[in-house]
Amino acid sequence: MHAGANMQELVEYGVHKMDDLGPDYADIRISDISKQNISVKNGSVESIKDDISRGLGVRILNGGWGFASTSDLTKTGIDVAIHRAMKIAKASAMATSKVELAEIDIHHDKYVSEFKKDPFQEPLEEKLELLLEAEKRLKVDDAIKVTNATLLAWRFKKWFASTEGANIEQDIIQCGAGVNVTASDGNDVQKRSYPNSFGGVFHSEGYEFIESLELIENAERVGKEAVELLDAKQCPSGDMDLILDPGQLALQIHESCGHPTELDRVLGTEASYAGTSFMTPDMLNELKYGSKIVDLVNDATAPKGLGTFGYDDEGVKARKVDLVRNGLFVGYQSSREDAARLGVEVSGNMRAQGWINLPLVRMNNINLEPGDWSREEIIEETKEGVIMDTIKSWSIDDKRLNFQFGTEIGYLVKDGEIKQMIKNPTYTGITYEFWRNCNAIAGEDEWKMHGFPNCGKGEPPQSMRVGHGCAPARFRGIRVGVGKW
Amino acid sequence: MVERDELEKLAELVIKKKKVDEVELRISHSDSSLTRFANSRIHQNVAQESTSVSIRAIKGKRVGSAGVTNLDEKYVLSCLRNAEKIAGLQPEDPNFKGLPEPKEIKRAAKKYSEETAKHPPEDKANMVSNMINYADKRGVDRIYGALATVDSSIFIANSNNVSCWDKFSRADLSTTVIADWDKDRGFGRGEACSGDIKNIDHMNVIEKAVDKGLNNLDTVSVDPGEYTVILEPMAVNSLVLYLSMMGFSAKAVQEQRSFMNGKFGDRIMDERINIVDDAYDINTLGYNFDFEGMPKQRVDMIKDGIANAVVYDTYTAGKEEDKESTGHALPMPSSMSPFPLNPIMEGGDSSVQEMIDETDKGILITRFNYCGIIHPVKSIVTGLTRDGTWLIENGEVKDPVKNLRFTQNLLDAFDSVDLIGKQQELFSMGYIAGHVLCPALKISEFNFTGGTEF
Repeated sequence: MHAGANMQELVEYGVHKMDDLGPDYADIRISDISKQNISVKNGSVESIKDDISRGLGVRILNGGWGFASTSDLTKTGIDVAIHRAMKIAKASAMATSKVELAEIDIHHDKYVSEFKKDPFQEPLEEKLELLLEAEKRLKVDDAIKVTNATLLAWRFKKWFASTEGANIEQDIIQCGAGVNVTASDGNDVQKRSYPNSFGGVFHSEGYEFIESLELIENAERVGKEAVELLDAKQCPSGDMDLILDPGQLALQIHESCGHPTELDRVLGTEASYAGTSFMTPDMLNELKYGSKIVDLVNDATAPKGLGTFGYDDEGVKARKVDLVRNGLFVGYQSSREDAARLGVEVSGNMRAQGWINLPLVRMNNINLEPGDWSREEIIEETKEGVIMDTIKSWSIDDKRLNFQFGTEIGYLVKDGEIKQMIKNPTYTGITYEFWRNCNAIAGEDEWKMHGFPNCGKGEPPQSMRVGHGCAPARFRGIRVGVGKW
Repeated sequence: MVERDELEKLAELVIKKKKVDEVELRISHSDSSLTRFANSRIHQNVAQESTSVSIRAIKGKRVGSAGVTNLDEKYVLSCLRNAEKIAGLQPEDPNFKGLPEPKEIKRAAKKYSEETAKHPPEDKANMVSNMINYADKRGVDRIYGALATVDSSIFIANSNNVSCWDKFSRADLSTTVIADWDKDRGFGRGEACSGDIKNIDHMNVIEKAVDKGLNNLDTVSVDPGEYTVILEPMAVNSLVLYLSMMGFSAKAVQEQRSFMNGKFGDRIMDERINIVDDAYDINTLGYNFDFEGMPKQRVDMIKDGIANAVVYDTYTAGKEEDKESTGHALPMPSSMSPFPLNPIMEGGDSSVQEMIDETDKGILITRFNYCGIIHPVKSIVTGLTRDGTWLIENGEVKDPVKNLRFTQNLLDAFDSVDLIGKQQELFSMGYIAGHVLCPALKISEFNFTGGTEF
């Protein structure tokens, strides 16, 4: 029997079994996840690993919620998981309040993500050749101590069915790659990465995306920058204009808009772990989150985003929802349960890392819409400022107000010109003050879709793949150069 | 849980069927359950069961890896073939010296708790209900948290006759209270972690959290700057974990990105600071061997304040003369391996109350939130206080303080330790059976660079 047909049969078996128990609601999700992870370091292959992870999770609402998952992909495995989830749901009912789910359209559908070249079908030798050549070209100086090139690819096949009648199959391919280099002169250590740190940039695309990154062509520049950083001037301390390139702005969006607009955090369900949010319901349609040029959207339909899909893990069809429009806070990312509780639109943000995990409210693609400047114009019209790029460190409080970020590289701008490279750049601020000081955003031509494969949330912890599209932007009067050096 | 003899049979099959020079099989099993509560009700309640198989195939100095989540022979052999294929397609790694040979593994005195492994959801719901009722009676608006039990096992075998199996259990409880929900204030925290659910005193945990929450209502702002701080064990846990991430791995040293580089033999912290990694310590938890099947050894990373040693796996040991694995490999392949999974900061002779009594002006900190490494060689880390921070004046705890951001060189912080707590507490790292055991600390100079609004 074809594997897909077998999975379809299993989800139908599971949903009928659960239907027979008469719960308020139940769903089953089977996942078949392939992952390839390649890393080459200092001229050798550090690791190549192919993983296949298959299993199922069942979610039952029966007075309270119960969830059970297992790697036993048989009817017996489903029966055991249902029994466990039902028992857990009854235990939850001992200390819970009534759960309502927002109404949604019920779909029978099949979604396949767009790709030209399946990364799992590309010869391993070619992938290794690309990474080894790029990694070799990073070594431009004796000060370079570590050279590294990495590639990650995933294929997610999912089968979802609910007692409401949903039946959805999805097949999503995602991949990305990057290079990074560490330079040391015995006194200082500096790192540079391309196209971003933590493994590069990732898209919902095929291998053609990895080819488009031009890792080999960029490697030498990245190596040289790492060496130059060793002797670069320390980032100055003070308040000045800050220009963020997409390699850092993507994380700024993630931490200071993505997380605080997750409605589960707002309603307190992450209070003990990830935290809550300053963007409380009384502020909806009231809070001036940013300047009038700031438009932030939650868009699971954005082409190539790492948070792009057909349906979320509750069967909600992918959609685009405004979070901030003309600087005003106007929307949340929500689950069916949270949306019903607050009486807001269901946004389709419930996703689980894998079959083993319970779906949570997760960012899809949280994008800053393009403005009408160019990066060049922004720099030309900056009297005194700093450009920062590429994620290095991040920290933000549990309501998502006070943040501090560090980037791999920075440049001083004086009288409209880039003057010199600076090292250890950091900046800090309060979220809404920062975004209210956004006074220039570059246009569509410079808008890039970044993606992070490692957004952590939940207990037990889950790691999610999320997208963030943006173009360079400028923020007025930001405190830079934090701490003693 | 799959029995050991079944796993050994599977390993024999894999070794017999291998078409490469060496092969390693790692089988992990985990059955965990977690009851999560928020707004004083259970809102997420899960049971997760998984089995995963990882195979490393060695061809000369080439290593291929593959994994699958099925113990069926057909899938395991397919996984073996895939690992072999990957190994055959890559260039040799001259630094790879082969899979390890077996070594004697002693058993720790820790006991596996069946009761913890099988702790039912109804019992968890009862414990959570008791906590909710207690907080309610004390006038706390809402409580949040998670109660989890874990039953996990690991089996590792290779074609050099390594064959070992171990299991462990753990129970974790954490709770945050919000004493005044309407005004979004009164945050307090309690945690407990043990190998045995019987040792989780859930009423003591909620009592501590409630006490903190009710004393954390009318917060005042404090200017950034240098302060004497008293860090409760929860806060010290974060600093020990970040030290481990920045500096205690041989890989970090070999890649010259550790604060230990160039400082071995030098005093880099107060001479009363001792940080070891010791999975056999009776007060910590973990497996008796690492993820290559090598016995875990005690490593004195910081000895009397001196940079003394780092941890090794077989690969990093093979890159240096006269080094052997200290039993600190992570599941391979891993860019993080080796790593100290059982860091322990040795205790001193003070209580937190004594630390407070002896402080003219300072800040008492419950825990840190969302720390980030700014510069690993300079050991600079940033983060914020969370769930209860208070001013101390003339030996007394005074006003609660709005949360502060620190940006601090950790070696400097550990060099300005005034007092060390006598009581250590255990914290789960949250992944791969890692745990931190540490006491409270009083540090004379700690640098706050900003603050937040609550």
